[in-house]
Amino acid sequence: MRVGAEVKEAPVEKAKQKSESDLPWSVIVHNDPVNLMSYVTLIFRKVFGFPREKAERHMMEVHQKGRSVVWAGGREQAEFYVQQLHAHLLLATIERLD
Amino acid sequence: MEFYETTEGRLGLRDIPPVLADLLRQIPHSGDRDSDEVEERFFPRPSDDPDEEDLRDDWRAHVEPELHGIFQSARVVVEADLRGMKEEEDVYALEFSRGHADSWLNALNQARLALVTQHRFSEEELSSPRPALIRNERDLALLQLTLYEYIQHWLVEVLEP
Repeated sequence: MRVGAEVKEAPVEKAKQKSESDLPWSVIVHNDPVNLMSYVTLIFRKVFGFPREKAERHMMEVHQKGRSVVWAGGREQAEFYVQQLHAHLLLATIERLD
Repeated sequence: MEFYETTEGRLGLRDIPPVLADLLRQIPHSGDRDSDEVEERFFPRPSDDPDEEDLRDDWRAHVEPELHGIFQSARVVVEADLRGMKEEEDVYALEFSRGHADSWLNALNQARLALVTQHRFSEEELSSPRPALIRNERDLALLQLTLYEYIQHWLVEVLEP
């Protein structure tokens, strides 16, 4: 998703950026009072391919705790998933994993 | 009002009372879509991290226009299906392709989010029993939300893998 700049960078800077983008990132889904629980479960199954039990577990976590880490991995893929979730009107963000 | 699925893969609603038919026709236009609050809810930030300003800028420039397109296309599909709603004596009937179910779910969600944001319904109001009398625009919006929720529940069941 990120648009690459045309400016040439020093190799050290480039290596630093690469290692930062390789750090694990998480996709967080946040609670909102409008989306139906059954709808959220369906979207988790559709976007992440979760089996029903796993999708329901994350949906319940969102509902009860206000947020759930639904996926962790590379940054680009995390951004892609957030975009997919936004397309279904779910509240989602990416966060760096500590 | 009754929901049904045909063996040819079409989904339908029949015996729709006129008042509910009117509310169905409002799906693509419900809520004040131009308000900043609705805009903010439809296009949330991908990150709240203060160091992620670049990501937010990229998102506004590249992702939001795509999301606009997705949301609009869902509404267009639903609006076209709604034009096919037929009057049968005192009630209405509507049938659409099962392939449109995703667009319906999306358009219904847009309508519900826009109505809730516009009328500032609290979580408590949304989970309370609906008013028995429709006295004002707010009560009508709650009725709309109930109808749209009902249809969404049915569509989720239909789409369950």
